Amino acid sequence: MIKPIFRIKIEQLVRPVFLILLLFVILLQNSHAIDTPQQQGISIKNPGSDLWREVRQRDTAIQGTTQIKSVDSNVLINPQADRWTRFRVDKLINIGFIVLGSVIGVILVFFLLRGRVKIEGGLSGNMVFRFHDFERVLHWVLALVFLFLALTGFTLLFGRTLFIPILGHDIFSLLASSSKEGHNLFGPIFMVSLLMMFISFVKRNIYEKGDLTWLLRGGGMIGKSHVTGGFFNMGEKSWYWLVILIGFAISATGLILLFPSFGQGRIIMELSHVIHVFGAIILITVSFGHMYLGTLGTEGTGESMKTGYVDIKWAEAHHDRWAKHCHDNNLVITADEYARLQGKGKVGYEPVSTTAGESGK
Amino acid sequence: MARMKFYCDAERCIECNACVTACKNENEVPWGVNRRRVVTIKDGEPGERSLSVACMHCSDAPCAAVCPVDCFYTTDNGVVLHDKNICIGCGYCFYACPFGAPQFPMDGAFASRGKMDKCTFCAGGPEEDNSSAEFIKYGRNRLAEGKLPLCAEMCATKALLAGDADMVSDIYRKRIINRGASVLNWGVSYNNAKLRS
Repeated sequence: MIKPIFRIKIEQLVRPVFLILLLFVILLQNSHAIDTPQQQGISIKNPGSDLWREVRQRDTAIQGTTQIKSVDSNVLINPQADRWTRFRVDKLINIGFIVLGSVIGVILVFFLLRGRVKIEGGLSGNMVFRFHDFERVLHWVLALVFLFLALTGFTLLFGRTLFIPILGHDIFSLLASSSKEGHNLFGPIFMVSLLMMFISFVKRNIYEKGDLTWLLRGGGMIGKSHVTGGFFNMGEKSWYWLVILIGFAISATGLILLFPSFGQGRIIMELSHVIHVFGAIILITVSFGHMYLGTLGTEGTGESMKTGYVDIKWAEAHHDRWAKHCHDNNLVITADEYARLQGKGKVGYEPVSTTAGESGK
Repeated sequence: MARMKFYCDAERCIECNACVTACKNENEVPWGVNRRRVVTIKDGEPGERSLSVACMHCSDAPCAAVCPVDCFYTTDNGVVLHDKNICIGCGYCFYACPFGAPQFPMDGAFASRGKMDKCTFCAGGPEEDNSSAEFIKYGRNRLAEGKLPLCAEMCATKALLAGDADMVSDIYRKRIINRGASVLNWGVSYNNAKLRS
């Protein structure tokens, strides 16, 4: 008799108790979720996620250990690689081409506007000795090696865009391969001639008193009269130091790129490449100006690197202090004497004075 | 068409370097060149993991983007290959690759770079399939024989997977589900085998 009553009572009790318990559990969970949300759910994380987080971190290259013995082989991902790729593909090729092209354009416009800078009163024919044979040969060796390196570098940088559509892959590969080998071969020759250039020209390229005036007057472009200059004027000195400093930077980075077997890692090589190519583009850009001024830009300049002699009127116009020095020391020779020295007379080629090129002071 | 992929399961790789050896032997890779390597992170510490790395055969491969002679091409299977007849050994792909896949045998005077060598997904090169010219330059063309890269084929723990991306991810997904089922045993591949289907 008791049993049925008891059963009913339990059935009546189970439901509310269960509901209360459920409510309690839900409330408890919710309060947990509010206090410490990370404890909700499964809190044990995949240990692999730590690994991947470490591997995928962008700022540093992850170093591990490996049995493969070579440079950087223990680096799983080099985060600089993508940056370098983007630099070369997106920026260097486009901006480099625009810079080089626009400099040629600017020089052309300048030439059309200003024309060839003539010597006032014309050339006199009386000459003065300026550069030794050695200095001229050195100049041309450096210049030709520089041009060769610039052209081979240009081929490697822009060839894929410019030449492959014309030549096709196979022929361009030959061109690029010889460019690369030539670039590597003539690089050291550039370094040697650069060093010789530094030694033989450094004394005359130290900045002196009148150089600031030259700079302030834009090398004679501002104002009518010519600006003062010694053996080299401010512009020439700056070009010299640009060649020397950037030239050494290009040489050093070039050596890093040329010999991959000295244990330098990829990041160093990528940085070296960036410095190398920046320096090269600056030098090539300014060299356009140098070439223009040496040939078309000004009358009489090219003679100094052709024969070693310049017209005294040219010296007075561009290097007045040096011209004064030449006058004072009786270094000016007549047109007849000059013709004789150039092999048109009977006496063989022998400069009148070998001390003429020493100093403009 | 298949989209070929490598996947290395870090939970399974035991750094046995068999993939490195297999690749070197199968493809008769030049001296000093390793197309594949195993890198161990946190070696000897808790959480140590090893990964086998080679060319990832990227969809948008940086090596191909920077190559000055444009010698890279992607096959219909999504394998990134290069033409050694065109390669000039400049090393730019080596700078561009995040994984360090391109390798350069020492060549000529002053140990300068030779023509680039890298993992071909055992798919040879542009030469005729399985010709001797192809083998000398690029190694075995197993894909043309209907086989997958040997490194993955002979991986003892099946950590290294190679093949069509869909199949590789299916296999890996199954593993993840199994590991997820034994949540308290994350990272343990061989215990709780009863939880596997």
